[in-house]
Amino acid sequence: MRHVLFRLEKDRYALPLAAIREVVVAPTTWTRVPRSPRAMKGVMNLRGRVVPVVDLRELLEVGPAAGAGQARVMLLDRGRRELGLLIGEVDGIETLEKVGPPAPKASAAVKGLARLGALPVTVLDPDALDATVARAFTTK
Amino acid sequence: MPKKVLVVDDSVFMRDIIKDIFAAGGFTVVGEAGNGVEAVEKFKELKPDLVTMDLVMPYRNGIDATREILRSDNKALVVMCSALGQETMVMEAIEAGAVDFIVKPPRAEDVLAVVKKVLGEA
Amino acid sequence: MAASWDTSRYLTLFAGEATEHLEALGKDVVTFEKGATPEVVDSMFRHAHSVKGMASSMAFEATAKLAHQLEDLLDALRADLARADAQVADVILQTVDALSTHVKAAVANQPLPDSAELGAKLAALHRVLTKKDTPVPAPAPVTSTPARSSPSSPELEAPAPFSSSSSGVVDPTTPPRYSLRLKINPASNQPGVRGFLAYKRLSTLGNVFDLKPPLDDIKAGRVPQGVITLELETDQSEDAVARTMRTVGDVELESIAAVVKTPPAPPVAPEADPSRVVGQEPARTIRVRTEVMDEFLDQAGELLLATSRVRALSRRVPEALRPSLDEAVDHLHLLVKGLHGRVMAARMTPIAVISDRLPRAARDIARRRNREVELVITGEDIELDRAIVDELADPVLHLLRNAIDHGIEPPEERKAANKPPKGKVTLAVTRQRERVVLALSDDGRGIDVARLEQAVVERGLMTVDQVRGLTERERLMLVCLPGLSTATDVTDISGRGVGMDAVKRAVEQVGGTLEIETKPGRGTTFRLALPLTVAMVNLLLVSVGDEVYGLPLGKVSGVIETARERLPMSQNAPVLQFGQSVLPVHELSSLLEVPAGPPSQGQAPFVVVDGDDGRLALAVDRLLGQEEVVLKALSQPLDLVPGLAGVTILGNGRPVFILDVARLVTA
Repeated sequence: MRHVLFRLEKDRYALPLAAIREVVVAPTTWTRVPRSPRAMKGVMNLRGRVVPVVDLRELLEVGPAAGAGQARVMLLDRGRRELGLLIGEVDGIETLEKVGPPAPKASAAVKGLARLGALPVTVLDPDALDATVARAFTTK
Repeated sequence: MPKKVLVVDDSVFMRDIIKDIFAAGGFTVVGEAGNGVEAVEKFKELKPDLVTMDLVMPYRNGIDATREILRSDNKALVVMCSALGQETMVMEAIEAGAVDFIVKPPRAEDVLAVVKKVLGEA
Repeated sequence: MAASWDTSRYLTLFAGEATEHLEALGKDVVTFEKGATPEVVDSMFRHAHSVKGMASSMAFEATAKLAHQLEDLLDALRADLARADAQVADVILQTVDALSTHVKAAVANQPLPDSAELGAKLAALHRVLTKKDTPVPAPAPVTSTPARSSPSSPELEAPAPFSSSSSGVVDPTTPPRYSLRLKINPASNQPGVRGFLAYKRLSTLGNVFDLKPPLDDIKAGRVPQGVITLELETDQSEDAVARTMRTVGDVELESIAAVVKTPPAPPVAPEADPSRVVGQEPARTIRVRTEVMDEFLDQAGELLLATSRVRALSRRVPEALRPSLDEAVDHLHLLVKGLHGRVMAARMTPIAVISDRLPRAARDIARRRNREVELVITGEDIELDRAIVDELADPVLHLLRNAIDHGIEPPEERKAANKPPKGKVTLAVTRQRERVVLALSDDGRGIDVARLEQAVVERGLMTVDQVRGLTERERLMLVCLPGLSTATDVTDISGRGVGMDAVKRAVEQVGGTLEIETKPGRGTTFRLALPLTVAMVNLLLVSVGDEVYGLPLGKVSGVIETARERLPMSQNAPVLQFGQSVLPVHELSSLLEVPAGPPSQGQAPFVVVDGDDGRLALAVDRLLGQEEVVLKALSQPLDLVPGLAGVTILGNGRPVFILDVARLVTA
């Protein structure tokens, strides 16, 4: 299956290409979401639509970003709505076939680990990502 | 009957100066607003004969507010308050429908002359 | 210039307000040091500008000059954010400090300190910042068609380079022409703007020809001896023209003379009489003020919400009563929905309300720019909510102007490109499921995307990498970047005119989207996809820290301004006296779990609202005013947040949450 490869700082991640609507440049200012979990970065105005954006590092609990590497927002296609993920750089599109089991203690949004040449890639599950965000709101 | 004026400026200080000029000139200042959003609201509510409008304001600038006011009443008389160096913005405001402009710092005789002309009283 | 009032009366006010601005500016510098954003530089610019204006009104010339220099510096920075560095921040901070010292000296009635050294520093930095290392090339000269000499008789007038398929034939008679000579008062301090104002005023009366000097020169203040000559084609009488000119300050109408005699008006065909409806039974209608229609919609919307509340409450009644209550609520809901639907239907207005004026506008623009244009309008019977139609009037006119001004090439250029000399502009309105699509297309030169990208980078609006990361669609949308669409040198070359950001904003504000398609040499299409209806809500906008929130006005009972530290306490919690009652006070920032602003000094606003459990007072930082906005529903996960009713996008593009005031505290 074709995946979009992207980075959070140094770590490589992938999401199925079919689940992605587009990738846009992250805005410089955010409208904060009241009463929201820490992972909720805010909402952005995307061509007249208000799109919620989560900080993927926070959501996956891999620690806050060290620098200003959060340059892009990847928009997950959720049918009639969108969920934005704040990420680093997009590396490209690759076919990932074999996805092995996830690392122990990985977030529920992680589907498993794949390899691209010698490099490990964490493959995420779009549905589970969405559910993780909803859970972060309800258990906050 | 004295003409009714709405004074829009984000600076209370500047509003006070302009208000005093109008009071001395025999006008009634029926209201004042500190930003463009308020200006539009107050205009609709108070139906003044004339509005003086600052250009640079937070939240909604004078040009947008002028456009909005003209949209609700295309006979509205809006006079811009500008500073030297803001020529381009003033022209944009005129494009949006402002009828004239005064230059800050406002001098009483200039303000009253412009306003009377606009109201057809000169 | 001597101030014409006693400035000492304003001194305290001046000191207070100037200090506030300088403090805010200082705070901005801290943000700025962490990363220069357009917003923070804009805010700094506004503060500097305010201080300048106040100081010069008080005749504190040295203070005004320093503030002016700071303003210039920030303006340069706005154009080129990439040049912001620690050194720049340092100088800004020094200037803020110096200005504060000025203000203190002024209050103490002491001589203003000497800031010449700092002034020189600011000037030097400004020179560095405005020196472009990659100069923007001058726009290629537009091949100009020689202007038609004014015809000696209207019969010789070339046919208007315009025809319309939608609204029939344009009136072939030419209104009379006058030759005018204007003189700008030599004492006027902004002669360019004065001249422009006179030109604008005259162009509301008719068409202006043979303007000398040309408009661009007038705008730049290049008016030799202050004399402007022009010809005006208008239906108005000579007297009316003179009367209009009398309302323009500092510009004198030196002479006015008719150029050609008014030809006898040809008999008007009876079909063209707009006061008569021919060939169909007129529908019986009544006129309703638009505000009444808005109120109907508000009330119908409120009814819908009230019904949902009743339904929610019905879950609390004993099981035995539930079925019959539910049935009654269902019925009520159905009736209210029907009513709401009918109110929405009554608000529907045909696009023709705005498209009817386009043929005339197209003709005028084409003439002024020496273009030949055919405008075709289709689907103008399609209806949209009145509020949307109103919002679209200006954007559509703007797109038309751009299409003719910048899209359609002059006839010679078109011939050279093997195109018919007459350009074609189409406005096609179609209904596509739940949306109405307005497509405005021209068969002109298309948008030069490469040039556009280059300009965006040159202006520092985006980096090369950012531009490279954009999709093709996003690249075209660069035309709508605020800092770009006001730069005529860029947009003329790239084939699109000014003000596109405003068009995009207007479309998005009514919940629509804007898409652009272009083919080099073949033309451009702007596609506006619009919702059929809108849900409008009237808001009181308030700020808390850096955030803005909307409180539905229907739930606001009042606003009280009082000093926070003077609030009486009851059971260790602050309360507010409101009429006969004492209300609990809640900090909106802590209710919403967002960072609070700096503690206020003096009067602070408290908004009294109706909550589910009774009235309460919300402490906010500032009141920003009222605004009527389009309410957008919240989607997951935002709908999981208790206390939010919806979201909207303000005119400045900022998303703002609308609070569910009733359940803010209980939820």
